[in-house]
Amino acid sequence: MRHGVIGAAAALAAGILLGAPARAQSGHYTIAVSLPTADHGWTGGLLYDAKQEAALLEHAYPGLTVIVKPSASAADQASALEDLTAGTKPDALVVLPYDSSQLTGAVRRVKAKGVFITVVDRGLTDPAIQDLYVAGDNPEFGRVAGKYFVQKLGHGDVVVMRGIPTVVDSQRVAGFQQAIAGSGVKILDMQFANWSRDEGFKVMQDFLAKHAHIDAVWAADDDVAQGALRAIAQAKRSDIRFVVGGAGMREVIKGVMDGNAMMPVDVSYPPSMMKTAIDLTVAHLVSKAAVRGTFLLSTVLITKDNASEYYDPNSPF
Amino acid sequence: MSNAAARAARPRRIDPASLAPFAALAVLVLVGTLLNARFLAPDNIANVVTRASFIAVIGIGATFVIAAGGLDLSVGSMSAFIGGSAILLSNASAGHGLGTALAVGGLVAIGGGALCGLANGLVITVGRLEAFIVTLGSMGIFRALTTYLAQGGSLSLTPDALQDLVRPVYFGSVLGMPVPVLVFALLGGVAWVVLNRTPFGRHVVAIGANEEVARYSSVAIGRVRTLTYVIQGGCVGIATILYVPRLSSVTPTSGLLWELQAITAVVIGGTSLRGGNGRIWGTIAGALVLESVANIMVLSNLVSEYLIGAVQGAIIIVAMLVQRSLRRN
Amino acid sequence: MASGLIGNRTPAPAAQATPTLAADALGKSYGQVQVLSDVSLSVRAGELCAVLGENGAGKSTLMKLLSGHLQPDQGSVLLDGQPVRLANPMQAEQLGIVLVHQEQLLAGELTVAENLFLGRELRRGPFLDRARMHALAAELLASLGCRVAPDMPVGRLSIAERQMVQIARALLVPRRVVILDEPTAVLTPHEVDALFAALLSLKAAGVALLYISHRLAEVAMIADSVTVLRDGRLVTSRPAAGLGELEMARLMVGRDMSTLFPPKAAPPPASASPALQVTRARVPGQVREASFSLRPAEILGFGGLVGAGRTELFEGLIGLRPAQVEQLVVHGRTLAHLSPRSALRAGIGYLTEDRKGRGLLLRQPLATNLTLVAPFQRFGLLDAARELAAMEQARTGFDIRAGRRDALAGQLSGGNQQKLMLAKTMLTGPRILVIDEPTRGIDIGTKAQIYRFIAALAAAGNAVVVISSEMQELIGLCHRVLVMRHGRVVAELEGDDMTEDAIVVHATGVGERAA
Repeated sequence: MRHGVIGAAAALAAGILLGAPARAQSGHYTIAVSLPTADHGWTGGLLYDAKQEAALLEHAYPGLTVIVKPSASAADQASALEDLTAGTKPDALVVLPYDSSQLTGAVRRVKAKGVFITVVDRGLTDPAIQDLYVAGDNPEFGRVAGKYFVQKLGHGDVVVMRGIPTVVDSQRVAGFQQAIAGSGVKILDMQFANWSRDEGFKVMQDFLAKHAHIDAVWAADDDVAQGALRAIAQAKRSDIRFVVGGAGMREVIKGVMDGNAMMPVDVSYPPSMMKTAIDLTVAHLVSKAAVRGTFLLSTVLITKDNASEYYDPNSPF
Repeated sequence: MSNAAARAARPRRIDPASLAPFAALAVLVLVGTLLNARFLAPDNIANVVTRASFIAVIGIGATFVIAAGGLDLSVGSMSAFIGGSAILLSNASAGHGLGTALAVGGLVAIGGGALCGLANGLVITVGRLEAFIVTLGSMGIFRALTTYLAQGGSLSLTPDALQDLVRPVYFGSVLGMPVPVLVFALLGGVAWVVLNRTPFGRHVVAIGANEEVARYSSVAIGRVRTLTYVIQGGCVGIATILYVPRLSSVTPTSGLLWELQAITAVVIGGTSLRGGNGRIWGTIAGALVLESVANIMVLSNLVSEYLIGAVQGAIIIVAMLVQRSLRRN
Repeated sequence: MASGLIGNRTPAPAAQATPTLAADALGKSYGQVQVLSDVSLSVRAGELCAVLGENGAGKSTLMKLLSGHLQPDQGSVLLDGQPVRLANPMQAEQLGIVLVHQEQLLAGELTVAENLFLGRELRRGPFLDRARMHALAAELLASLGCRVAPDMPVGRLSIAERQMVQIARALLVPRRVVILDEPTAVLTPHEVDALFAALLSLKAAGVALLYISHRLAEVAMIADSVTVLRDGRLVTSRPAAGLGELEMARLMVGRDMSTLFPPKAAPPPASASPALQVTRARVPGQVREASFSLRPAEILGFGGLVGAGRTELFEGLIGLRPAQVEQLVVHGRTLAHLSPRSALRAGIGYLTEDRKGRGLLLRQPLATNLTLVAPFQRFGLLDAARELAAMEQARTGFDIRAGRRDALAGQLSGGNQQKLMLAKTMLTGPRILVIDEPTRGIDIGTKAQIYRFIAALAAAGNAVVVISSEMQELIGLCHRVLVMRHGRVVAELEGDDMTEDAIVVHATGVGERAA
């Protein structure tokens, strides 16, 4: 399995595409993009990025068609995959599966028709199906945050607000625990906040009631962090030094840029991985160069210094 | 027999089942305190009671709908939808002054809620469809419209001055009572009078008890039933007015599963899911029970975070069993 | 009516045989209230024992004790002379004792056959044997003279047909003791004949039968012995032979019952302007064409078989079901729109035959039911004082007897429920009153009382329609009787022409064809 530094790969792909449009005019390609519908902030950003990139690429390549098809549930997505390949089959499929195990079969059937398969973020249960796998690095997501806590606090008590009980969440938490192991940073309490702003508010209120002293909060998600901040502000507690979220929400990155003391950093898990995946897939088709393997997007600590790189004022996320 | 004598001759019997939700609440408070003394801290109690206000207010409306033998599954997504609409229209009118923006937001929330309820009610009564199916459909419609309005992201009140202006609606207090608590207490009082002391309330219960009897008694069934959904919509509007100031924003996940929580609060409160009776104060107690259970779960260290849902479910079932055993035969 | 059956009475079995089922000094109380005390009774194989008593006399309690629905506080139940403990109805059924309830306990969505075999479905391998169940159901129903298709959903049957299905369900497996609680209350004469024939064949097969009825004429016809209860105590147990109807009534009520019906007031003059004039009313699928007029102070009877369209006609006229009418004139004013509200405003009150399903909110207090149509209000709020006053007035005016002041409507006896419905309807101030089956399932004492109320209401100038399947009721109470058959008014009978024979002939059409 090959690991690439995806930033470079994406730039390379974009360079191939945008720098040499003449080559592509010779061929007509169709790419189908299947992803969950915008049911929360992160998937909203995902869909926004996919549509942006589709328009950009179609403009650059008159012979290229990108069909973006959001689905509202796993079953819906399975049907959508059948529909997308029922008539004229696309040359490639970029898919972010709703659920790994439920959609493995559906993607395998698409693969059987000779379609190039790019899987994004949530892996299939059978990795042999995918030609290309583009994902964020979840354990690293936790580690980056954990390292920041160790470095910033040295010693201290933190509370952790987890997401929805999933593999993604477990990997992140494990990464965090690994990073703080042996340090003076201790986890005081952990609860699920379901990647929701309202839950973040509630759970934080309860943490504040339960623990007289908390040094910092790892919310693992920017939506949750927003809710937690409101609860802290309401309780007028001065013991909490900072809250770290994650995923790179527009408002949060803006805050990091502006030097928000309560949320000084963010951890990237950008929905733009969809962009990268589409770019790489197009690169594979157009350049006839084999772009295969696994590409993990490096997870980056967004600080005041580099925040502007991650800021898109138009993103809905 | 004189009226006074007649009244004296009819002592008000208190149905023990109507006390069950309050007993359950008392037990929870006791258990919560034993598990962690901080449960009784004034701040924590204020947090819990204030957080319960959304479900309490929506539950008050749901008590009408369910007492009349109906059901409204759309309340959670309706709240997100009218919350999103209110935010967009407030933001748009902020140029005419913050007061205008505030008024627009409030009107949109309550008026929009009533209209959404009217739509549900009319489809159910005029279209002669099952409430379950109609409101399941409108639940999906409202949720999708919210996602569309937010483009998958979140909708926030702007400018910040507007956020600061509305914040006291959730965080403020009058004479030591948080504003949302005052709102649901007041609303509860009004709702109790409407349900128990007006001809309309009596017809609501009659329809839920036996729609045929009401029809044979010349009760205007369609109008009464539709009105219960309008009341429900208005309550959702009020709950939304309390909800938006908390985080100053609405996301596509706002109000998720509120319909189930509201129905659970109503049932814990002693209202039969089949209709024919309605207990406003019981519903409010039910909402407090739900919120307390969640709070106690986090405050205590007894249960793994993975199992909290199971314990909550079990507590609700036990509460219902106790209530059933208290029911007068 | 059913006169041919009298001669078929089988001789009572020998008295010395051990009773199949016996009650030995049974007693039952609820809290402080002793509802049954020291009641003994026995029934032998092949014997039909009628149990008589007014509502509240303890008949139903006794039957429930004998069928495992209730457990006695004193005394014991003997089966073949041996004491048995019937912990629940299932256990009683296993011993061969079954109670056919007066209430309709069938699943409306299921078919007749599915209801009959509910809980004891026949199987072939893992699958339901639908064919065999249908065949058996058809056979059983035919033996009861009931012509409903086994695959018909029960919800589409008439009340009478449902009653027959319920009886059939009890007879599906062989029984030793069958207890019937008012089986004929909702049946037409024709169906009663078929039921009696079935009961006779059960007797012949050695089944012991306990039979509750308010129809004393029937009891006189088919019972071998009669047991009378009053106020929870045994009044007498004696052979039926030689016991007349009036004597039975006297034993039940405890006083002489010389007259059931109040004296009839003189009929209103035909020239009086009508209170209600109906021209060519039609109810799709039920009433083909009906025209009639009703005068103030008149009691007009509607006779006919169940399903002839009588109930449907009036439910159509007041907008409870879709109907067309060429002209509907109420007290000189044409009513353009048929709806319950407009009927209410026009002063038409309707008492449904289905007291429990459509008439009263059983789990609500009496006052709530009384004022349901238009609750008293002051400044938009309920006026509790006026409501209580109205309830007191109704209680005394209509002699509504409730055990407790906070009783629920469902806790009243059938007779008191009927009186409550009458009071409820009268509270809306109708001048035209339509009463569907005014005395179904009501004991004889209360019956007489309701007849007096109806007569008094008419005497006060109200126009009254009485729909009834009891021909004696129509004849004894009404000034005039219209007979309906197959959705049409086929006869108008007045004065001496009002006889049971005439009504039967027109209702069935049998005599007409013969003539």
